[in-house]
Parts: sequence; structure tokens; C-alpha cells
Amino acid sequence: MALALNAERRVGRIVATASRWMAIGGGILLTGMAVMTVVSIIGRMFTGFGLGPVPGDYELVANGCALAVFGFLPFCQLHRGHVTVDILTVQFPKQVQAIIGFLGDLLITVASIVILKQLWHGFGEKFPFGSDGMREALGMGYKPFFPETTYELEIPVWIPYGFALVGATMFVIVSLYTVWRSFNWMLQGEEGAL
Amino acid sequence: MTGLMLALTGFALMLGGIFLRVPIALAMALTGFFGTWYVLGTPNAPMAQMKTLTYETFSNQGLSIVPLFLLMGQFATRTGMSSALFRAASDWLGHRKGGVAMASVGACAGFGAICGSSLATASTMGQVALPEMRKRGYSDSLSTGVLAAGGTLGILIPPSVILVIYAIMAEQNIVKMFMAAMIPGVLAALGYILTVAIYVRIKPNSATTAERVPMAERFKTFFATWPVIMIFGLTMGGIVGDWNWSKPGPQALFTPNEAAAFGATATALYGIVVGRLTLQGFIQAILETAKATAMIFFILLGAEILKGFLALTRAPDMLAEWVLVSNFTPITVLVVMLICYLIFGCVMDSLSMILLTIPIFLPVIEVLDFGMSAEDTAIWFGIIALIVVEVGLITPPVGMNLFIINGVARDIPISKTYAGVAPFVLSDLIRVVILVSFPAITLWLVGVMF
Repeated sequence: MALALNAERRVGRIVATASRWMAIGGGILLTGMAVMTVVSIIGRMFTGFGLGPVPGDYELVANGCALAVFGFLPFCQLHRGHVTVDILTVQFPKQVQAIIGFLGDLLITVASIVILKQLWHGFGEKFPFGSDGMREALGMGYKPFFPETTYELEIPVWIPYGFALVGATMFVIVSLYTVWRSFNWMLQGEEGAL
Repeated sequence: MTGLMLALTGFALMLGGIFLRVPIALAMALTGFFGTWYVLGTPNAPMAQMKTLTYETFSNQGLSIVPLFLLMGQFATRTGMSSALFRAASDWLGHRKGGVAMASVGACAGFGAICGSSLATASTMGQVALPEMRKRGYSDSLSTGVLAAGGTLGILIPPSVILVIYAIMAEQNIVKMFMAAMIPGVLAALGYILTVAIYVRIKPNSATTAERVPMAERFKTFFATWPVIMIFGLTMGGIVGDWNWSKPGPQALFTPNEAAAFGATATALYGIVVGRLTLQGFIQAILETAKATAMIFFILLGAEILKGFLALTRAPDMLAEWVLVSNFTPITVLVVMLICYLIFGCVMDSLSMILLTIPIFLPVIEVLDFGMSAEDTAIWFGIIALIVVEVGLITPPVGMNLFIINGVARDIPISKTYAGVAPFVLSDLIRVVILVSFPAITLWLVGVMF
């Protein structure tokens, strides 16, 4: 017994591919940040020769890493990578374990929705455009008087927030899929292999 | 309800959830969220906090070092450095009774110097050293036990992901934390080697001896480990050394974040140059980093939400006051905390334990008088707590390192691994007693450097 098993598998493959590519993208960004830092160090060492450190390297790394983490979250959730303690639950019947797994995925989904929703509001508070009517309809709150920027490069903060929203949205989608998956596992009475 | 009662109730519910397999990050976040809601009577404040908290936690400058070190470790596992380290160590030690097991410890320590994670160290060295020990007739217990224990050197010897997180939570200088971990890390490796020596005396048929390798050959294999020595020397040396003698005081070459970025780049570059890091390997390294990073940052986010709730209840301060007026000796309090870690370590992972306990334990430690400055106490406590939570990685029933080694050699029953690791747990405990009794061992190098 299962809920639209074939459809679930098909969606599963799409979600797996998408979250994998998103994680790879995050990893490439992270690697890029590492290389950029090395370039910055070399530039700083040769300051006397007309070179210099990459401006704002620190805030670039911090924001780059944050976006990488947002890119990593869906992949981690799809593979049930979040730490759990299963010492007690392995003693339970398989069916009960499947129910617990389903509830766990459900809770993660609720959390991911809260994260996305509040991140959206946070984005709205930093996004200095749009008419009052449009902002009202989209729940973006009041238009900020001074759009917040990063310290050194003065990049408007809504830009990295916007990229983070992409990761957070994917996190919600993947979480919803994992609920579907574990719901089927629950119906089948046993958790599948990952 | 008093703040203390409220915090205790929250913790009890959270632990209940954790034992029912609720992801630890989520259990922390839910407790923090609903706890704050209960105290303030409205969910508005924790909801408003979530508008920026997620992004701010993920973009914390101090934390950028974590994914970078993880990436470095993942690259390192795919460059053949582990085999070079093991070969060198086994050429130098292999002719002794139990020498290959000792060499595994040495190689783990070497690998730990470029990898900040215990699990990666255990699995990488396990794949290299385990087949070799089995081929040479080492007992299943000894060979799996020594590798599980050796893996814990990955996190104790800097760089270390957990030390980074402790340093941020305790508001300590990360460089000083790394320096403080050096001597305890070396002591750990020596302790494990001594344990092997005693083990094979008691059970002579658990290990074999090999032929002595000529000196010329030994130096050749030793110098083959140059990339490890270079990368460790430059990353760790770069953040603690003095690189500009024209200016007074130690002038570091770079900050810890930069060291991690440099280490990751250098390791990848080496892997590409020697042709071991393929595109496939690169993608695998990224995906493993992705999983570990997301897991760690999700817990960090949960811990951040929980921290807000704990601060509202003022429970940590109340606990500290209570401990102070109750006139316990500082050492008693410390021992109780360490026993807590040992018990929880049997079932919980080290990072979650550190994040759950430090906001409560550290304020207590800070009000107690251990005869040191506040900074020294925090550094010393961090190192000891790290060692004790790492013991949890090799204690049954839930010891991640044991599972990892068991995954490398599926035909060895886990009970043999449990038996084999016991002497190493004992060695850990003896070391903890030594470090608690003589704080100078931990703090000496910090004092010399700064």
C-alpha cells in the first residue's frame, strides 16, 4: 500500500537531481571563496608591488559560506543527514519506526516553512523597491528607508537574502517530498533504504 | 514557574524528543521557540527573530571556517596522503610487536593534522590501515579498536571543527584554543601507542612483528609525507608563527579563516597536480562537505534559538549562583560535569553535546576558582570537555567511530570492536585525569606563544 508510489519515485528522482546540483553549486561557491581568499592573501603579501588584498574578502567569504549552507540544506534533508539518536527507537517495531520517521520529516517541513516565511519577511525589510500595494500584497512590510548594506563593499543585503531564499525554497520542496516518501514508508510498514 | 524549573522542563522535553529520534537540531529549536513563547506569552518575538537569525547564523564570520576545514579534510581523504602517512609510520614502527597498530595511531595523528573531523579520519585511515593489519595477522579486536580510537585524534589535533565552535560559544581566541590542543593531542597519540604496547604484551598472539626496514628506505617514505607536513606547517604555522620579524610581537601570516581557505585550496591543488583528485572525486568531496556542513549549521541554528530561551529563564546564572553558594569544591563540580559528558556521550554525538551543555556549564565553570585567569580556565575546560565528548565516539552502544570502522570491515562482529576499543577508552580516561590535575600541560604552549 502506498500513496502514488510511481509518482513519488518520479518526483524523488527530480528532487534528488535538483538538490544534488544545488549542493554542487554551493560547493563550487565555497571552493571559489577559498581560492578568492588565497588570491587575497597573495595580493596582501605583495602590497609593495602594487598588488593588494581583495577588497571586502572577509564579508564575501562570510556571505558566500552562508549561501553555500542554504544550498546544502536540501541535499542533507533528502539524505536524512540531520543528527538523530536512534538507540531507543531501533528497539521499536519497524512500523513504529516508520511512523517516527514520518513525524520527524513532518517537523522538519514545518521548520523549513517557518524558516522560508520569516526569511521572506526579512528579505522584505531589506528590499527597498516596489509600490506600497504590491509590498502589502506580498507581505513584505514597510519599505526600508535606508536599505541595509554590507560593511565594506556596501552590497545591498537584500541580494544575498534573495539567493538564500532560493535555497530555503528548495529546502521546503525537498522537505515536502521527504514527508511524502516517509508517508509511503509508513504505509509499507518499513523505512526504505537511503 | 521559576526560570530554573522552566529550563529544566524544557530540557526534559527536549531530551525526550531526542530519544524519540527527533532530529537534535529540531528538538533544540522547538524547545527554544516554545520556551520563549511561554515566557513572553506571545510567539511574536521568536518569530520576529527568525527573520534574520537564520541568515545571520549561517553568515557568522567565525563560522565560515567550518565548511572550509570540512572541505579541506574531504579533499585530503582523496589525495592519497593517508597511504603515504601510513606507509611512513609503518616503516618506522612496523618491526615492533604491534608496530602496525602503533603506526596506525601515528598516521591518524598525522591525518588529524590536516583534517578537522574524527569520522573522516577514522574512515580514511580505516580503509588504508585495516586491510594491512589483517593481512599481517593482527587480531580483529586490536585492529578495529586502535583505528576507532585513532580516529578521535582527527578532532583533537588541530584543525578541529568542534574547537572552532567551542571558541565561538565561549568567546575565546580560536588560535589559543588550537595551541592548547596541541600537547594534549600528542599525549593522546603517545597514550594510544603505549596502550598498544601493553595490549600486545598481555595478548601476545593479537599482533605480529615484521622485518626491520632499512634506514634509507625509512627516510624515503618519511619524506614522501611532505605534502602533509607542508600543509599542516603552513596552515597552523601560518596562524601562530611569526612571519614578519621587522615588526615587534608575533606577526601571523594569516587569520584562522584564511588558513582554512588556504589549506583547502592547497590540498585540492596537490590532489589535482598528482592526478588523484578527479572531477568525480571533487564532486564527491563537495557532496560529503555539503551533508556535514548542513547538519552542523542546522544544529547551530537550533542551538541559537535555544540559547535565547535559556537566557530568558536566567537558568544558567541561577545554576551558577546555586553552585557557588553550595560550597562545592570546584573540582567536584568539574568531575560531575565530565561524568555527565561520559554518560551522554554513550548515546549522543559530540557537537550536539557541546552545543547543549556549554551555555549551561560554562557560566558555572566561570564563577568557580580553579586558581587560573578566566581565560585560562575557559581554554582548559574546553580542551578537557572536547576530550571527554570524544570518548563518546568510541564508547558503545552508540559510538560513531566504532560504526565507521565496522562499516569498513563488515565481516568483523561489532562485539570484537567493542572489546578492542576498551583499553583505549581507559587510556583516554587516564589522560583526562592527568590534564585535569595539571592544567599547565594544556596551557603551557599558549603561554609560550602569546
